Amino acid sequence: MLVLSRHRDESIMIGDDVVVTIVDIRGDKVRLGIDAPTSIPVHRQEVYEAIQRENRQASQIDPSAAKNLKRS
Amino acid sequence: MEFLSTKFGRLTVESDRIILFPDGLIGYESHRHWILLSEGNDDSVGWLQSLSDAGLAFLVVTPDRFIAGYELRIHRSQLLTLPWAPEDRSMTLAIVSDNRGKLTANLKAPLAVNVDRCLGRQVIASDDQPLRYELAYPSMPLRKSA
Repeated sequence: MLVLSRHRDESIMIGDDVVVTIVDIRGDKVRLGIDAPTSIPVHRQEVYEAIQRENRQASQIDPSAAKNLKRS
Repeated sequence: MEFLSTKFGRLTVESDRIILFPDGLIGYESHRHWILLSEGNDDSVGWLQSLSDAGLAFLVVTPDRFIAGYELRIHRSQLLTLPWAPEDRSMTLAIVSDNRGKLTANLKAPLAVNVDRCLGRQVIASDDQPLRYELAYPSMPLRKSA
């Protein structure tokens, strides 16, 4: 992994069109500003991974489960 | 075309009913072609069957049937990669999973489907929506004594 040291208000570039800026540093918390084209989705990793896990679990559903959701 | 689904057996798939998810689903990025199957005559419950994997199908519901006033909120950028005209009809679907016998709907990452263009995307809600919204089961109809 590439590790870079940055100060507040400094940035790094990823490729030609993604800019990550250190907006603020307080204690153990860093606020990042991300400028990226709209075609590149940016999410917190834990959110993305949680959705991945949830999709995987959903794929295991039994076909009979649908009966429980039908209108009576 | 004919498709043999693990869960549903032999299906006849009309090519104009195939929904393209250009980015796949999250964790299933290579699954781009899907078909929506209705569950009986209930149009708020269905199955999203992958056409790349006979064994992969998700139970989906329209959230507004279960949650009064449900509205999908996403950043505009979430749909910019799809051609989407304002007049296109859209549909929001939530994927259902079974959590130890309780059925929950994923409202954090629902599916936005452009019905007119047969395009879809799993989007991430911009508001604070649960990954597991517990779906209320329809209660047993009470029989009135005759």
